[in-house]
Amino acid sequence: MAKLPTSGLQVLRRPTTATTLPSPIPQTQLRHATFIPRHRRPYKFTQLVQLSDGSTYTVRTTSPVALYKSAKDTRNHILWQPTDKSLRNVEVDEAGKLAAFRERYGRGWDAEEPAAPEQQGTTAAAAGTPAQKAEVESDPFDSLVGLISDFAAGTTSNTAGLSAKEQAKKDKGGKKK
Amino acid sequence: MASVRALSRPTRGLPLSQISRQTTSACSRRWASSQAAAAEVPLEDLEDSALGAPPLSEEEKKTFRPWKRQADRKFALPSGRYNYHAPKYDRGPLHPVQPLPSSEPTARDFVPGPFNLPRLRQTYLSTVASDLMTLTYNHIPPGTPKKPTPQRLRQWDGSSPYHENRSLRAPRGAPVLPLLERDINFTNIPEIKEITLAAYVPAALQDMDNLLVARAALLAITGVLPEMTKTKTNVQQWKIRAGEFAGCKATVRGNEAYEFFDRCVNLVFPRIKDWKGIEATTGDSSGNLAWGFTPEELKLFPEMEVNMGMYPPKMVPGCRVYVKTTATSDRQARLLLQSLGLPFFGEVKN
Repeated sequence: MAKLPTSGLQVLRRPTTATTLPSPIPQTQLRHATFIPRHRRPYKFTQLVQLSDGSTYTVRTTSPVALYKSAKDTRNHILWQPTDKSLRNVEVDEAGKLAAFRERYGRGWDAEEPAAPEQQGTTAAAAGTPAQKAEVESDPFDSLVGLISDFAAGTTSNTAGLSAKEQAKKDKGGKKK
Repeated sequence: MASVRALSRPTRGLPLSQISRQTTSACSRRWASSQAAAAEVPLEDLEDSALGAPPLSEEEKKTFRPWKRQADRKFALPSGRYNYHAPKYDRGPLHPVQPLPSSEPTARDFVPGPFNLPRLRQTYLSTVASDLMTLTYNHIPPGTPKKPTPQRLRQWDGSSPYHENRSLRAPRGAPVLPLLERDINFTNIPEIKEITLAAYVPAALQDMDNLLVARAALLAITGVLPEMTKTKTNVQQWKIRAGEFAGCKATVRGNEAYEFFDRCVNLVFPRIKDWKGIEATTGDSSGNLAWGFTPEELKLFPEMEVNMGMYPPKMVPGCRVYVKTTATSDRQARLLLQSLGLPFFGEVKN
């Protein structure tokens, strides 16, 4: 163990004066390192989706199933295929039991009122009425046309519909009945 | 070259001292490169070929035991290549070690892809975008004076001298100004920008497992690791304290957003019982539409139902879905989503 020359250390040390106060602003530029994280993502499989009409397409999903066959999708849903008659909910009443029930108890128990055919005729005749506009809005495909034509005309007003809260209240009221 | 390879293969098994001696075995070898010019003309064309090497003798085969060398070796060999590791930290623009751009495959934040062009995006690019632009074309004759942009901020009445140079006030009630609608032209055809799924799980305050299930569900559905969200306020009645983890959200952008939207429209919505469509009153009047999924509806996603055993049935959360589009008004956004196959019901608001 060699003895350190103490006098040499004293020479190296810078003379400090008590008068210099440490500045609140750091004298050297401070820039902390930012961690660059690796992305965390699940493995995605290539899946073949077969819709109910037999058409197929590939998707990238987290599901490991190679082939997904869907039983119910837009191809056999009345909302997307409004012209498909086989999808309509048609009553089969060969024995006449439903008719007998209705004769006795009325139509109050029906789930939905069927659209009267004569009503459609009147709306078609009176073009441009608010009733017709409402009917156009209810149909998802005609509404697209209506929306586009309204774009050009600039007829869609901001105060046409209900607010979300009012709509929800209205829906709730309808369900209770 | 061929001769060097042929030499190296059988001698690799030998200890180093034996190779350095180069005694009899090296001399008895047939030097393929010297004879190749005369005998094997077709092999001459192949530059790096070991085909000219003679077959190993039985004795050589016995001494060739690479697995023995591997087992006897005390230390791991240095890897044959120079392995570059991208810097783990970004130390600022003045640091000599700079992180790689994320497009570089060796960068730490590199994400590979895209691996496919989603079906719905193809439809959008090929038909929907041009249709939207054409059908919403609103002809303005040249020379028509531009409509001035209305001042929607509240102005000061100037009753006080201190009103001078004051900034204008936000409209009453809403601190955020909704966007002003712009006409659709070739530069701003609306498209889906991103979709955010947000699940609020207040039950997580009592039992954190709820949050775990919600996270796993959103991860499976979106393919993106969800971000945890905290409660904002204290509500005594609901036993909620501010700053506690009570939900998660996941955002999908670009191609993934289109793919998620496609899955919602084609596979999930048709399977919901008595589904009428999305409420037409939705929207923040700036072109962002939203809807919600109940827990039962969330279970209809193909990614969820393939692995339903993973999620405790009572813990599956519902979630809200926000579709952010580049449309500047709700009716433009509705037009876009309708053309992508999303039905709306009810009266429209704006």
